[in-house]
Amino acid sequence: MGAVQVLQLLGFITGNIAWIASIFGVLVYQPRKKKALLKREQASLISCGVNALTTLSTPSKKGEIQGYTVLVANVVMSPSWIQTFAGGVRALFGGRINTFAKLLEWARREAKQRLLEELEASHYDEVINVRFETTTLTKSTGSKDKTTGFEILVYGTAVKY
Amino acid sequence: MQPDVTMPFSNTETLPGSSIVRSHGVVTGSTVRAKNVFKDIGAGFKNIVGGELKAYTELLQESRNEALYRMCAEASSRGANAVVNVRFATSSVAGGAAELLAYGTAVTVE
Repeated sequence: MGAVQVLQLLGFITGNIAWIASIFGVLVYQPRKKKALLKREQASLISCGVNALTTLSTPSKKGEIQGYTVLVANVVMSPSWIQTFAGGVRALFGGRINTFAKLLEWARREAKQRLLEELEASHYDEVINVRFETTTLTKSTGSKDKTTGFEILVYGTAVKY
Repeated sequence: MQPDVTMPFSNTETLPGSSIVRSHGVVTGSTVRAKNVFKDIGAGFKNIVGGELKAYTELLQESRNEALYRMCAEASSRGANAVVNVRFATSSVAGGAAELLAYGTAVTVE
C-alpha cells in the first residue's frame, strides 16, 4: 500500500468521522449500555420482586399506610444518525420500524429501572398508580441541526406499609 | 428523584390515610426551560452515537420540580393543603426548550 492510499484512507476516515462514530455507537456503545441495564434489572428483580411497581390505584396489601411520596424518573434517549437514517428509509416503505421500536423499548426499560432503583434507595415498599409518558424533543422544524430525542417519564406514588 | 415540595401530593385519587373534605378545583404549574448552547452542542455530538442525552434528562428533571413547586404554590394560595391526582405533560415548544406542565386537584384533607 503506497503513501497515496494511506492518505486517501486517512482522508476518508476524517471526512466520515461522524458516521463512523455513529456505527460505533450502534455496534458497541448501545449494546454495552443495554447489557449493563439487563444486569441492573436482574439485580432488582431479585431484591424487589415482580410486584414492586403496579398501575393499580390502590395498594396491593391491606393495612395502615405509614407514608407516601411521589417518585419520578425520566430518561431522554436519542437515536444515532445511522438509526435515524435507517428509520427514514424504512418509513418510505411503511411497516414496522424496528430501530425506533427497539430504542423506545430500551428507553422505557431504563426509565422503569430508574424508578425501581429510587424505590430501593428510599424506605418505601411499593409504587402504585404508575404512569408512563412519552414526548419527542425536536429542534425547531427547518433547522439544519437534527438533534432529536424522546423523553420517557415514569411516575407513581410510593407507599410504605 | 423525589420532588422537593413540602405540600403533600399524590398521583392517586385519594391521599392514603386521610379523607378529602373540600375541593378547590384544578391547579396547574408550568415552566419552559432551555439548556445553554454548550450543552446543546454536547447533546448534538451525543446524538451521533445515540443513547441517553444526560443534559436533557437533568434539564427536564429540574424543570419538572419547578412545575410541581408552582402547582403547589397555587394550591396553597387557594387555601388547599394537599394536591391529589397529579399528572404530568411535556411538550417541546422550540429548539432545545421544553414546556413542563404539572396539574392536579387542590383539596383540603383532614
